[in-house]
Parts: sequence; structure tokens; C-alpha cells
Amino acid sequence: MSTRVAAAPVPATRSGLLESARRRPLALAILGLVLVAATLVLGVALGNVSIPITDTVAMLAHRLLGWPVHVTWPQSSETIVFELRLPRVLTAMAVGVALSLAGATYQGLLRNPLADPYVLGTASGAALGAAVALLIPVQLAFLGLGLLQVLAFAGALGAVAVVYRVSRVGGQGSMTAVLLTGYAVGSLLAAGLAMTMYLSGNNLRQIFFYLLGSFAQASWPQLLVALPLICLGSVVIVSRARSLNAMLLGEQTAAHLGLDVRRERLILLGAATLITAASVAVSGLIGFVGLVVPHLVRLVVGPNARTLLPLSAIYGAVFLALADLLARMPGELPVGVVTAIIGAPFFLYLLRRYHAGYEL
Amino acid sequence: MRRNSVPTPPASRGKGSFRFLLTVAAALALAACSPAASTPTSAPTPASTVLPTLAPSPAPTITLPAPTPTATPTTLPTTAATPTTSAITITDDEGTTITLPGPPQKVISLTPATSELMFALGAGDRLVGRTNYDDYPPQISSVPAVATFQGVEMEKVVNIGPDLVLAGGNGFTSAADIKRMRDLGYPVLVLYAKDVPGVLADIRLVGQAVGEASAADSIATSIQSQIDQVTQAVAGLPAPRTFYEIGDDPELYGPAPDSFVADMVTLAGGDALTTTDPSVFSIPVERLVALDPQVIILGDAAYGTCPDTVAARPGWESITAVKNGDIRPVDDTIVTRPGPRVGDGLIALALAIHPDAALTAPPDAVAYCTASPSPSP
Repeated sequence: MSTRVAAAPVPATRSGLLESARRRPLALAILGLVLVAATLVLGVALGNVSIPITDTVAMLAHRLLGWPVHVTWPQSSETIVFELRLPRVLTAMAVGVALSLAGATYQGLLRNPLADPYVLGTASGAALGAAVALLIPVQLAFLGLGLLQVLAFAGALGAVAVVYRVSRVGGQGSMTAVLLTGYAVGSLLAAGLAMTMYLSGNNLRQIFFYLLGSFAQASWPQLLVALPLICLGSVVIVSRARSLNAMLLGEQTAAHLGLDVRRERLILLGAATLITAASVAVSGLIGFVGLVVPHLVRLVVGPNARTLLPLSAIYGAVFLALADLLARMPGELPVGVVTAIIGAPFFLYLLRRYHAGYEL
Repeated sequence: MRRNSVPTPPASRGKGSFRFLLTVAAALALAACSPAASTPTSAPTPASTVLPTLAPSPAPTITLPAPTPTATPTTLPTTAATPTTSAITITDDEGTTITLPGPPQKVISLTPATSELMFALGAGDRLVGRTNYDDYPPQISSVPAVATFQGVEMEKVVNIGPDLVLAGGNGFTSAADIKRMRDLGYPVLVLYAKDVPGVLADIRLVGQAVGEASAADSIATSIQSQIDQVTQAVAGLPAPRTFYEIGDDPELYGPAPDSFVADMVTLAGGDALTTTDPSVFSIPVERLVALDPQVIILGDAAYGTCPDTVAARPGWESITAVKNGDIRPVDDTIVTRPGPRVGDGLIALALAIHPDAALTAPPDAVAYCTASPSPSP
């Protein structure tokens, strides 16, 4: 490894660039916010109906910023931009924030680099809830949400609640116990999901699409229900960065530092689960984001939660919105496929580069 | 609600051998995909020329006797209690009532059957959107596609701004897509026929919706006369135990009880062998051997299933139909698609079950058996 780096001067300079980025988290944050804005404009400008980018920018300026722009575009373009694309891009960003933050939180709490937002049974719980909803032949609408969203949300929350309760029975409830219980409960729920899918007949296709994750159904009402939950949970997590840092040292050490470990753990777990549940309810199961974005950020800026969490949120938003854009350009690929196809090689590259200095 | 869908062969894309294919197949249901020839749209069915005695349609404002009259109107009727002369109020197969201010000029059709029907009604020039798997009539290719197997491409729909959308029920068009289009303000008519009379009712319903009620009447009447012909032709004949094979990859698929295909087989003079439950489309080979079909109809003939390959399947040699060589292919796009050619499909099916029946094969009933679609290296 080291000889190869020494032999090739170009990667060395690039690593120097990353090296300097590592010491400037604020610059990274500003760059991230610029990317968020650029992704937003790109996300509403592109789609399978072509609308001139000048029109898109003018529309955004007109509607969002109130600039007196002369309206030259057809009404249908405005509907496409504001009713279809904008809620979709914003939903992707909100879910990107939520999954990245939840992933970073679970990884820190469980002190396990393989942890992701779905590790404690959220995914299986949500999927089972969604599948059951599809089997119930009643059309229920609730705050603009269908039964599917409501049951997926409940399933995700319920799964983690059960895991947490069960893991505490007869012991201290160490995070290892939580992790193992999560695995067991998740497997049980997955079996239930498989059974439901087997029995679902015609609805199998819908369940399958839910499992792949998509923002194709994103709409304002859904976003407006999910967004407050995601904001609340995110603020709680980011404001508890110091607790998460202490937990990284181990729960005993954290307790010796004067931290109320049980309480902080419950708050962090609860917040991470809440935002995960809100995400899976509106977007289905999108893998990889919650696992990889925190790792990417950690590789660059290190494990300090106070920089890790905000940067994970920002880059999670950019990453998922871009992935969704790529997913819909060729005509609706499952977004989870795209996140893995882009994310995995990039992640491998960074892992190789920072192999030596990696710590959780 | 979820019952009675007619699955289509998983066909060439069935390599994944996973259960979801079954549902995809069910969704393709009435939309099998093989090109069929001829029949100009001006004369939708051969019989329509024989039956000129059709009263001109009454006033276009018609409220149909809906299957489920407890409807939730998506569009409220126009202010006045007495509708304006041109307003059209109709109730679809899911019980939703819609009101159109007049005959729609920009119609999107989300099933192959309704796309065909638009042309058969002489309203093909008002069809402005379709699915990318519509295949008939040939003029359909000039209409832009706005939906795929994955769903409706909503941006394209908004870009067109339809004044009527014809969607498929029972999950053919996803409920989420239907809701989205209604939320965006487009009137959506959901059609789902679970038997042959249901197809005739749907044809009339669409005719009223697009202001072509008399053309729809004449199509429905000519289909009815084809049904009557078939009924007469098979009346004296014994009904053989008939298995209509919908697909064979990865499992064997056949009609569910009470499904559209089962209804077609019964009308065509067969004793339809079905799966055990309306929501089950796969049929175990053991069950089929025990039921011992006297005739096997290959609805999947266009996807590489041939009589000789069927006869060579292990364990099938004891089946009566195999012993007697009564394995016959049909064109599934006319047999299983609930569109204007369903009468032709019924005749083709009746001839497949009773080759000696006194019926004339419809001109475009192409029965084929192509080679296996998997390319050799």
C-alpha cells in the first residue's frame, strides 16, 4: 500500500486535499450546503418531460422567492415542477438526512460499524406493516397518508420497541443484547413478511416495489407529515452529539463521565428510530444510505459526533437526492439499487485510501 | 376486489423464478403481448357489418346503472340540477362517479384493451397517451406512451393534461397512481371486467364516456352475436375438461375459479379446470394430472410453449389430452384481453376446444408456436 502511494504522486496530492478538508469541517459544511442547493435546482429541472432550465429557475424564483418574473411557461410545467418534482426532491433530501443521522447514531450507540438504520428490526417491521396494509382491502386516508404509510410507520416503531423491551428482560440490557435481540426479532418479522408475501396474490408487485424503495409517490401531504417528525428527531440527535461521543468510549466509561447512560441511550435510540420510521413510511426501504454516508463522512472528518452528525445529514441529503435523480432519469429504477451502485465503489475507494487511520 | 385477475404468461422474462413474477404476471393480466394482424379499425369485428339495425344513441347525458351505486363522486355534477346538454356523468367499475363537461378530446388509456377500444370506437385520434406495451391496432405506435409496467409516468400525464384517463382496476393500474391522477384533477375511469358480460358493459361505458355510445353499442352487439354463435355451435357438444395454460415458467399457471379466462372457457364449450382459489394462479402439476384434462389450450404459445414440448413434459404422458394429441395453441391477446376483439377471441377459443364446431375462424386469430425465446450462445 504505502509503496504504491509513494510511487504515485497524484493520489498523494489528492489525499493531501482530503487531509486539509479533514481539518476544515466548516468548509465541508458550506460546500455541502451549496451542493444541496445545486441538487435541488437540478432535481426539479430534470425529469422525463423536458422543461428548459431557465423556466425552472424562473419558476422557483417566482414561486419561492416572490421575484416578479414574467410568466412565460405553460401551467403544466408549473404543475410538474411544484406538484411532482419539488416534493419528490425534498422528500429524498429529508429521507437522506434521516437515514444518515439514524445510521450514524446506531453505529455510535451499538459501537458496530455494520449498524445501519434498519439493524434493530425497523426494516422488517415496516415492510411487514406495509405488506399487511396491502392485504387489507380498505382504502383509508389519514392526513394524506394511506394505510400503508401508517402501518409501515407503526411497524418500524413497534419492532424497535419490542427489541428494546425484550433485550432488557433479565439483565443490564447491554447494547450487544439489543443488537442480538434486534437480529432475532428482525428475522422473525422477516419470516412474517415472507409469509404475507406468499399469501398476497395480486399485491405481491406492490410489496416488492415497497421493498426496493422509491420516491415516485412522493407528494406534499406525505412530506408535510413526515417532515416534522424527521426534523424533531434530527434536532434531538444532533443536540446529543456529546452524549454520543461519550458512548463511543464504552457505556461504563460514559457513566463514569457522569452521563445518565440509560436515559441518553433511550433518547438517542428513540430519536433515530422515529426518523427511520418516518422515512420508511414515505419512501419504502432504501438501503446503503444509512450505512455508508456516516462512514464516508467519518473517513474524511473523523469520529467526533459533533462534526460527524451535521455533515452526515447534509451529505446524506445530497447523496440521496442525486441517487433519486439518477434513478428516475432512465425511467424509474429502484433508488436503492442506485444508492448501492454509486455508493459501494466509492466507499471501497475511500476505505482503501484511509485503511490505516479508520476508527469508529 | 383482488380476485379474478387473469394472469398472463410470465413469458420470456421469467428467468428470476421468484414469486413476484406471478404478480407481475397478474398485473399484465389482460394485456398479453403478441402482435396480431389485420382487422381494420373501421370494421372492428366481422359481425358488425351484418348488424346495421342500431338505433342512434340517445342523448349523451346518461347515468349508467353502476355495479356499485354507492359512489363517491370525484367531480361534483355541474351546478345546475339539470345537466347541460353535453355533460356526461358515468360511474366506473369501482363505483366512482365522474362528470365530464363534454366528450373528452384528450384521452389517456392505461390498458391495452381500452387503447384498442378507442380505435374501435373511431376515437383513436383523441387518444393522446397509452402504455408502452399496447400492441394493437398498428396505428397505436404513433400515440406517445405514458405508462410502463412499473407504473404511470406522472410527468408525462401532466404534460399532456388529459380530460379523461381510462385505467385498469384490480391493481392493473396501481391504486396510488389512480389517486395521484385524481388529486391532480384528472377524471379517471377505472375499468375491471370479471366476466364476458362485464366486458360488454365496459365497452358501453367507455363509449358513453367518450361520446361514442352508438359505436360502442354496435361493437357490443356484434360481440354478443359472436357469443350467441358460439353458444349455438357448442350447444350439442359435450364439454371436455379443458385446461387453459396461461404460463409455465417458473410454475404452471392456469385460470383461477370465477376468473375472466375461466368464464371464456366455459362460454367456449369447455369444462374449465381451475386453480383452487380465486387469488391463486399457479396450479400444481399433480393437481392437473389428477384432474386429467381432455383438452389443453396453450395461451402461452406465443412465448415458446409448443404442443410437442408440452407432450414431452415428465409425468404428463398419462393425461388424456396428451395421449390423444388434443393440445392446441391460441392467440392469447384476443382470448384474454377484455377489449373489442373479445368475440373473435371467444370464437378462436371455441375452435381450439371444438375444432369441428360450425364456426368460422376470425380473420386475425393467429395461433402460433414460436421457438423458445432464449437465445443460444
